[in-house]
Amino acid sequence: MLYEQELKTFVEGTTNFFEVAAQQPASIGSPYLMEGSPSVHEYTGVINISGKREGVVYFTAPKAMLTVLLMKMQENDFSHETMRDLVGEVANTISGNARRDFGRDFVISVPSVVSGEKPSIPLRPGHRSFIIPINWRSHSAKLVVALA
Amino acid sequence: MTVAGTERRRQLATAFIGTALTLVMGAVLIWGFHLATNMRANITALQSASALQNYPEEIAHQLNTLRDRLEVRAYSGQALSDLQATVTRFDQELKKINTGGNSESPQLDRALLLWHQYRPVLDPVVAFAGQPYVESDSAGSALSREGRKHYAEVKQAQLFAADNARPLQAQLASLASTLQHSSSDAADHLRGLLFVGVIAALMLAGAAAWFQRARNRQERVARDATEQTRDILKTVREGFFLLDANYRIGSVWSEALTRMFSRNDFAGLSFEELLQNLVPAATLSTATKYIKLLWGDRAHENLMKSINPLGQLEITMDNGHGSKETRYLQFDFHRVMGPEGVKHVLCSVGDITSSVLLARELHDSQENANQQLDMMLGMMHVDPLQLVSFLDTAETGLKLVNTILREPARTDAEFRKKLNGLFREMHSIKGEASALNLKSIASRVHSLEDMVSDCKKRPELSGNDFLPLVLKLDDLLAHLRGVREMASRLTAIKDTPAGIAAQTATLSTTMPSMKLSAATPAPPAPVATPERGAPRSVEDLRPALQSMAERLAHDHSKRFKLTMAGLSEVPTAYSATIKDCLIQMLRNAAVHGIESPDVRQANTKDAEGTVRVEFRKISDGYELVFEDDGVGIAPDSLRTAAVRKQMITEEEAAGMDTRATMALIFRPGFTTQDGVSMDAGRGVGMDVVARSVYALGGKIGVSTHPGRFTRFKIVLPPSEAASSTAVA
Repeated sequence: MLYEQELKTFVEGTTNFFEVAAQQPASIGSPYLMEGSPSVHEYTGVINISGKREGVVYFTAPKAMLTVLLMKMQENDFSHETMRDLVGEVANTISGNARRDFGRDFVISVPSVVSGEKPSIPLRPGHRSFIIPINWRSHSAKLVVALA
Repeated sequence: MTVAGTERRRQLATAFIGTALTLVMGAVLIWGFHLATNMRANITALQSASALQNYPEEIAHQLNTLRDRLEVRAYSGQALSDLQATVTRFDQELKKINTGGNSESPQLDRALLLWHQYRPVLDPVVAFAGQPYVESDSAGSALSREGRKHYAEVKQAQLFAADNARPLQAQLASLASTLQHSSSDAADHLRGLLFVGVIAALMLAGAAAWFQRARNRQERVARDATEQTRDILKTVREGFFLLDANYRIGSVWSEALTRMFSRNDFAGLSFEELLQNLVPAATLSTATKYIKLLWGDRAHENLMKSINPLGQLEITMDNGHGSKETRYLQFDFHRVMGPEGVKHVLCSVGDITSSVLLARELHDSQENANQQLDMMLGMMHVDPLQLVSFLDTAETGLKLVNTILREPARTDAEFRKKLNGLFREMHSIKGEASALNLKSIASRVHSLEDMVSDCKKRPELSGNDFLPLVLKLDDLLAHLRGVREMASRLTAIKDTPAGIAAQTATLSTTMPSMKLSAATPAPPAPVATPERGAPRSVEDLRPALQSMAERLAHDHSKRFKLTMAGLSEVPTAYSATIKDCLIQMLRNAAVHGIESPDVRQANTKDAEGTVRVEFRKISDGYELVFEDDGVGIAPDSLRTAAVRKQMITEEEAAGMDTRATMALIFRPGFTTQDGVSMDAGRGVGMDVVARSVYALGGKIGVSTHPGRFTRFKIVLPPSEAASSTAVA
């Protein structure tokens, strides 16, 4: 069973990124559960976790949200690669937070980035994921925590 | 004898020997000084005596010279002058010897006596100051009258000197010899004394060396001890420190303390300051009082240990990475006694975080195992089909809860709106779980309800507040899955011949009258296999409702019988609603309606109450009557409760008629109970009943007579009409 503190670590990692990078905090929406693979947005940063917990944690965001985020970060390059780098950076922050809080109990992979309409993110079959909407300005992304 | 006692004795002996030797040295030096002083006087006297030995001879010689001069009428002034000087010197030297500490010498006494006889003879000679000659032409130089007298005195002195010069000289020689002997003796004494002094000095030096060696050894031992103490304090996993009478930490502590508290400025820190900001104020206050108690002379240590409030202290502190971390520390206190009572309090601190977490996991695991056992035992008494039906309903309900959660929300109002919907869904699940005596599910739903209730009380809601809810929902769904798997296994066991035999044995034990027929071999009755989603009639719930009524009566110290009629008439379309209504109204009747036996008897009622349920078909549909002969509903108590919960104002309450007052029962969140229990207190149940009845196009009414009864009447349309209403 996942603990509240563990979930909060991933959530804080995500919201902190917005606060630091865009100087504008993100809030979380109403969290819920989902069986099977949740739908993803155009860009997704994934970290694989093993050790005390097994599974994946990923941050998936629509292109529009990332574009505005880049603008807030004074970036002029809105290319596909920059978008990928940005979600990768969010995943990296989540990963850093997890390493800091969980220490050696968690083995956390280097973040990877997938993009496209239906990217393949391997989830454990028959397992529920926690979906936490990340609201920033008028946009909404998702943090998906699928750990067992 | 202790090591400290031996050391103290050694120190005292050291001090005594050192002092004694120093005193001896002092005495030797003083005596030596005295001897040296005497020696010096003796040597001076000896020198004087040696010098004076020649004076009597010289005086006699000078007298002869003076006489010769006078006889030949030669110049005598020089001779007289020499004599005067010699006499004066002799006299002075003799006086000096006499006053130099040799006054008791007999030789000196005799010499002085002779000199005292000699001096009156010499004095007229040396005192002569006249003209000894007269000059005449006839006789030339001749003695004058004064000269003749002077000559005579010289002659007399010469004669005295002839007789006494030698004895005087002998006495002075003897005195010189005596003084020489005396000096020699004093030198011997001084040498002996110096020898003693040297011996004493050597002994003192030896003692000092011995003491220094002992001191070096002690210092080495002390240094080793200090080093060992430092190593222990550096290595030990517990935090150690001493508290003084002002409850302040001493200057020595173990390094583990630094790791535990992430600081190293412990010296002089008060115990209160150590725990400040780490524990709640109430705990800090209790801990401080406890520490003060430890200093009391009458405090019994074992007793104090048993009331130690810091046996397992939860502290929250920064983990050094910017986030908080919870640790569990165990404080233990031992009083260090001195001659005048408690000297220090030794405090040991252990980090028992891993033990506590392990114990908690063990407890959870044990709890889980117990719950599973309870669940399994409970499930054995539940119709498998009914159980599967409940699990389906519960899962559907929880999915609905998840759907409510999934609705996007950003504002406080949007989040708050979700809470009422969550309450309604969970309340139905909990009710049915209670009815089936599935305690682990009911308690989980109850705690989820508690979380929702806590959320309602918060001034501003956000998604963060819903994180615990979704975790609990996940746990509940996982538990339901576990229960379903267990149900499948139980069904499989029941299906086996051994299982059937066991069931038959149970029946034969509980129903002896059937024993004969049971003993007759018969083909096993077909055991129903749980099927998902199979609709169950309310009639099937009858045993569960009866056992629920018994449990409620037991839990709330009530006595009542439940009679149910016509439940087999409930159309399938109404099964779920009637089931929910019955469960909720039964709980209400047990908690709020039926009085305790004492109260009932005091009100001339039977000790055992009655709850009556009747379902029947009527001309324009169906009717469910639920009645208890309990305390009834007093409209005033409803209005008071509504005002207390700020659902209506006092003015509104005053203007409400009985009908409007009774309608309060169906308002969401309304309850007359102050606290929340497993069975009542959230004000959700009758709201759920009313909503589900209205959803079917039905009506609900309540009639009551305070002190006599409460009757709910639910009227539902024909089932076809209900189906169309539901679809619409």
